[in-house]
Amino acid sequence: FSWSSLGLAFHRTHLISSLLCLESIILSIYIALSIWPIKNQTSATLMQILILAFSACEASAGLAILIASTQTHVSDHLRNLNLLQC
Amino acid sequence: MLSLTLGTMITITSNHWVTAWAGLEINTLAVIPLISKSHHPRAIEAATKYFLTQATASALMLFSSMTNAWSSGQWDITQLTNPPSCLLLTAAIAIKLGLTPFHFWFPEVLQGSSLTTALLLSTAMKFPPTTILLLTSHSLNPTLLSTMAIMSIALGGWMGLNQTQTRKILAFSSISHLGWMTIIITYNPKLTLLTFYLYSLMTTSIFLSMNSTNTLKLSTLMTSWTKAPMLNTTLMLTLLSLAGLPPLTGFLPKWLIIQELTKQEMTTTATTISMLSLLGLFFYLRLTYCSTITLPPNSSNKMKQWSIKKPVNTLTPTL
Repeated sequence: FSWSSLGLAFHRTHLISSLLCLESIILSIYIALSIWPIKNQTSATLMQILILAFSACEASAGLAILIASTQTHVSDHLRNLNLLQC
Repeated sequence: MLSLTLGTMITITSNHWVTAWAGLEINTLAVIPLISKSHHPRAIEAATKYFLTQATASALMLFSSMTNAWSSGQWDITQLTNPPSCLLLTAAIAIKLGLTPFHFWFPEVLQGSSLTTALLLSTAMKFPPTTILLLTSHSLNPTLLSTMAIMSIALGGWMGLNQTQTRKILAFSSISHLGWMTIIITYNPKLTLLTFYLYSLMTTSIFLSMNSTNTLKLSTLMTSWTKAPMLNTTLMLTLLSLAGLPPLTGFLPKWLIIQELTKQEMTTTATTISMLSLLGLFFYLRLTYCSTITLPPNSSNKMKQWSIKKPVNTLTPTL
């Protein structure tokens, strides 16, 4: 989880890398949450499916934004996102 | 729009971390197409920034709840026992709300969205994270919260000083108001709610009056008195109320907060934040000065340019 969040904080040029890091964050949370009930002999599978569904929605929304930003700006480099500076 | 209310309701009425997280994600997903509706490059860029920040904050919140569940074995919201997860949760909610030091996305996102969407962003989207803060406020770190709050009041005042775009000015004013809200949350959460309600009411009236006269810059504000003079005077009163001047409603939360802080023996904090709100007062005064008191260099009197498309609420600023 910490590696993914560090990668998200320090992404340099491409927006795709930040989306990937977001997905890996959620995936690490999912794996950890799947291992925990096995160790403690409880069951939390409904929670897992819900988390998975929502993270998939978020990923698709991120991809849609990526496509929209590639349509309006020329590429997805982060240096092009400077239209809103003070 | 409907999914926004659904998401907010889900988050407010949740006692389990996953439902709170789900409601926040629904909110984020519903607001993103609202921001990027106009296919303007600025709007898309605002949508990207908003999405990235909100998604990381949601993931952080989920992670903090998970570490809390590891150490204490239960997923209730009101029982946060693990100190690192409290810290992570505070950071996540600060990112979502736009508190300092995580406020960098907020002015640019407000600038890139239309006025009604910006209104929605700054009032309605702040409501679920504040409810989560309220629910967990007894177990969070008070020093961290008060330092973040003082810094946000300071930064909101300072960075708003050189702005000419009205949406950015309103973004900085909302950052400083959020600082006022969080500084009292560990001592008296009802005051936080009161501040939030009054702040959202005043901000709604300002945004709606700016929407009907379509003022995006300070120069546009100066010529807006020709379109609807009554609206302009009420706008001035609302701005002064947002600044917190005594006879108007905006003074009430500040007074109560300062009273509560001095009861808790934090008088230096109280004097610091009242000094820092002077900075905000400067640009509110500049806004009122530009909108009502002065005349622009070259304009004609009573120049009715075009009719107002939607009816104007001139009564809500007098609340």
